[in-house]
Amino acid sequence: MATLRLENIAKDFSDGRQIRRVLFPMDVALAPGQLVVIAGPSGSGKTTLLSIMGLVLRPSEGRLFLNDQDLTRLSDNQAADIRLQNYGFVFQQPMLIEGLSVMENVLLATAVQGGRPPAAARSKTMELLANLGLGESGHVQPRLLSGGMKQRASIARALVKDPAILLCDEPTSALDAESGQGVMGILKRIAIEDQRIVAVVSHDARVFPYADRLIKIENGRIVSDTREQYVRQ
Amino acid sequence: MRSLTALRMVIHDRASTAGALLGVVAIVFLVGQQLSILFGLLNYMSVLVDHSGADAWIMSRDVRNADAGFLISDRYVDRVVGLPEVAWAEPVLIGNGLFRTGDGSYESVRVVGSRRPRLAGGPWRFAQSNEDALLDLEAVTVDRLDLAKLGDPGLEAITEIGERRVRVRAVTDGARGFQGTLVFASLEKVREIARTPAGKASVILVRFRDGADAAAALARLRAIMPYASVSSTAELSRLTRLYYFTNTGIGGSFGFSTVIAVLIGVVIISLTMYTSVLSRTQDFAVMRAIGGRKWDIAVVVFGEALIITGVGLFVGFLMLAALLNATGNSSIPSHFPGAVPPILASVTLFVSLLGSIIALRTALKADPAAVFH
Ligand SMILES: Nc1ncnc2c1ncn2[C@@H]1O[C@H](COP(=O)(O)OP(=O)(O)OP(=O)(O)O)[C@@H](O)[C@H]1O
Ligand SMILES: [Mg+2]
Repeated sequence: MATLRLENIAKDFSDGRQIRRVLFPMDVALAPGQLVVIAGPSGSGKTTLLSIMGLVLRPSEGRLFLNDQDLTRLSDNQAADIRLQNYGFVFQQPMLIEGLSVMENVLLATAVQGGRPPAAARSKTMELLANLGLGESGHVQPRLLSGGMKQRASIARALVKDPAILLCDEPTSALDAESGQGVMGILKRIAIEDQRIVAVVSHDARVFPYADRLIKIENGRIVSDTREQYVRQ
Repeated sequence: MRSLTALRMVIHDRASTAGALLGVVAIVFLVGQQLSILFGLLNYMSVLVDHSGADAWIMSRDVRNADAGFLISDRYVDRVVGLPEVAWAEPVLIGNGLFRTGDGSYESVRVVGSRRPRLAGGPWRFAQSNEDALLDLEAVTVDRLDLAKLGDPGLEAITEIGERRVRVRAVTDGARGFQGTLVFASLEKVREIARTPAGKASVILVRFRDGADAAAALARLRAIMPYASVSSTAELSRLTRLYYFTNTGIGGSFGFSTVIAVLIGVVIISLTMYTSVLSRTQDFAVMRAIGGRKWDIAVVVFGEALIITGVGLFVGFLMLAALLNATGNSSIPSHFPGAVPPILASVTLFVSLLGSIIALRTALKADPAAVFH
């Protein structure tokens, strides 16, 4: 069972003249089978933390492990390989590539390093799109979809590789309440039924009821880390 | 999936694709058209040499091109035919004269006289009548493309060149020189027109026997004629072209316009590819985030450049072919050697890949972390 472990992770940003600490050293371990929500005010460092977890941003200090593999000092290409094999991302904006159909956008996640998508990926994509209510939209251009449909397509893109880790940054903020609920329901199901690590960054209170674990960040520090039973109350 | 992505982007980003295509087509078409005129002119420069049917040209000493030599003695002919390698040797006399046109005005023409009955160095392709027409002492040929300039003399028209009576008895097809309008006649007629002393020729054409060792034969000729220059036809053709190419500014002028055409193409390609990639930065960041390496982004950008170049080459060559077809029979010089298209295509490919380098650099800067902002 995969775990993602951050030890003493800190991040500094420099604005050219001075260096500012955005994340103070923190330990976080994410286990599969739970929906983890990372919450906190704007500018508190949530996205920065998620980016480090997602191997798209290097920490200034500390170490990062996937199971027992040290991911701290990976080369650019190694990090890309790990992202390709283990990660799915859902961004605040769906960020689908215009010109590619919905189906091709999803398939690209399986073959972004070249080659044709495996045959299994095609059937998997069909199945995912159908489950996400996009069964009819596979050959449609993304711009013709509604915001909620696009976000669901981007979830399909994140899931097509069966990633061990699913990282989502404000996946509901561009959506109306109903679509937002739908997306959260899907993410929750993936975490629990498929036993994956799912972390969702959000400052949307409507997301909290879905959390099995709620990590709150303020000014670059974890101020609370609450488990399921407390969250529910 | 990377090439499919490139293709989809090319199709989707219509405006920039059209722009970059324009750049590629501009290079192929403009450069191709320039080259066809240049090669056409180069053909004109050495037209007499190339069509002489001889293996060697004997001219006065130190000639720098086929059109400028002193007169030499035509007794060299006898000396040359004695050699075992030589099949035949024929004098040719080249001079200038004023051609009286139908309306009484004059055109300067270059008259080429060849000796009957072989008529070596004479005309080679006819639009009307044929070579035998020149067996007649007063016969001259004019070229189809010069007819208008010469006042449309019909066959059998009688006029004067250099105040000597001549009769147009044949019309050549594409016998045009760089030095001016070419008129072919018999050696005797040219001697009259140019008022050349008897016993003199401009050139002695030599044809070697089949199977003779050309290099050895040339060396032999040089040995027995130290006071003349002996060139193989190919050498003289090259020398003549090079002479005009460098001394008339044609080389510089064509070089300049070709470079400008290529530069304009590169700039168009660079700018449009750059803006196209700039508007795709987010997509490249997404591709990086979901596991694409920098290399994969490069493949997509180069893929786009290749697709655009391929289509551009196709369109450009199609347009060029249409142009060459349309002008092939006109008085615009045009010639397109078979070796040119592959070279032009490779150069264009190279240049558009070069043009996509700025775009590539921009694309490679796409930061996967940017997807979260
Ligand atoms: N690339 C960067 N360079 C410099 N500073 C940065 C960079 N990225 C983030 N920051 C700074 O780090 C701090 C934390 O940013 P972060 O995006 O993690 O906040 P957040 O909690 O996700 O906020 P929000 O809820 O508004 O998305 C902010 O003050 C931000 O200005
Ligand atoms: Mg954020």
